[in-house]
Amino acid sequence: MTQEIEILLVEDNASDAEMTIRALRKNNLANRLLHLKDGVQALDFVFARGIYSERGIENAPNLILLDLKMPMIDGKEVLGKIKADERTKKIPIVVLTSSREDPDIKECYALGVNAYVVKPVEFDAFQHAISELGLFWMIVNERVQ
Amino acid sequence: MELRIANQQLELQNEELELRAQELLAANKELAFLIVQRKESTAELAIANKELVFQSAEKEKRAVELGLANQELILQNEEKGRRAGELIIANKELVFQNAEKEQRAAELVSANESLASRTAELVTVNSELESFSYSVSHDMRAPLRAIHGYARMFKEDYQSNGDQTGMRLINNIISNADKMGRLIDELLSFSRLSRKELVRVDIRMQQLVEKLFQELNHEHGDRTFDLRIGPLSPGCGDIASIKQVWTNLILNAIKYTRKTVDVIIQIKSEVRAGEIIYSIQDNGVGFDMLYAHKLFGVFQRLHSDEQFEGTGVGLAIVHRIISKHGGRVWAEGQPDKGATFFFTLLSNAT
Repeated sequence: MTQEIEILLVEDNASDAEMTIRALRKNNLANRLLHLKDGVQALDFVFARGIYSERGIENAPNLILLDLKMPMIDGKEVLGKIKADERTKKIPIVVLTSSREDPDIKECYALGVNAYVVKPVEFDAFQHAISELGLFWMIVNERVQ
Repeated sequence: MELRIANQQLELQNEELELRAQELLAANKELAFLIVQRKESTAELAIANKELVFQSAEKEKRAVELGLANQELILQNEEKGRRAGELIIANKELVFQNAEKEQRAAELVSANESLASRTAELVTVNSELESFSYSVSHDMRAPLRAIHGYARMFKEDYQSNGDQTGMRLINNIISNADKMGRLIDELLSFSRLSRKELVRVDIRMQQLVEKLFQELNHEHGDRTFDLRIGPLSPGCGDIASIKQVWTNLILNAIKYTRKTVDVIIQIKSEVRAGEIIYSIQDNGVGFDMLYAHKLFGVFQRLHSDEQFEGTGVGLAIVHRIISKHGGRVWAEGQPDKGATFFFTLLSNAT
């Protein structure tokens, strides 16, 4: 990909992904968004391996939206690996998940997550949460250049 | 010459007689001494006799006493004999009771064992139930979000087509998905309740309730009430849970007075016999005491969804929380005359 990816969405559920992208698109934040459906592909992308070995690892996305419950490698493992590596740990990661369970929240923060958001069931609330998220991390938040 | 021999003989006889007289004197002295001795002995004997007589008298007395004592002993022996007889009977009784007790102890042990294994079963079933209800609620959320989401997206994208019927159908899908979402949330929080540990602290109930009521009223229509709160005794409990209790009770009061004109809501507390009784009274639609026992069951409702929306979990949550705190809940009401809900918390002093 020659175009830089601004937002990496790692989500295995097609409906959740569609609603997330729709909300971001409403705020004009979805132009350079890449949607990957599992943790293996996500790690390949972030660490510029496998099919993404042409990428420069320093062209990091500005935001990673990460679901926790995914097949094969689950979200926490992805989070851990990205935050543990010097080259990639600065990438803001927002976990976007159905689980409001304490142990999950604790573990994610221990691994260095930047934010933990529970996906609202109600559509309006979901859209609202995503657009707030997107606007904050893409526009309000100061990034490392 | 004969005279001289006779004199000599006489002189000899005199000397012999003198000797003998002296001997007799000595013997007399001896006798006299002996007689004195004998008198003394006799006197001593007499005293000794008196002593003996006295001692004999004593011995007689003692013999009499012994005789009495013996009779006493005989009586006591008879008593003892009787008591021994009673003891034997009592012992037989005890042996019998002991046998009973051992039997009962054995029964208790085996009852305890079966209780323990049933408890273990129940614990397993309970935790399976909890993880079941947790995972059901949890896993239902994603497809529910999709249903709700797609219905909304459909509405957004096709509203302009002007199809009234289509929109009505879509709106129904959306409102049912909403309801299901609320149900799942309440079920999840209900199931989470049993897993959480209570952290008991002192609660300034007056402030908590005043603030909470304002927040809830603001979120649910900002109506005006004749609201009378307190003074409420401070209580002791897990703040988040007690807040949940008040939230559910206050929301009910707000909800079920929606059709009432001049709404009066009174929140009070009373200290009685080591516990604090909190109550919230409204003059709303009330309920029939005939169904009071159903109020706190899960999914039990006394009104239809058309009359008043609700999931029937709110009061079940109140009941669970207060039970965990060691208190009781109950309610009184009359159709169209309002309802009062009570719960108790142990007083700080206990």
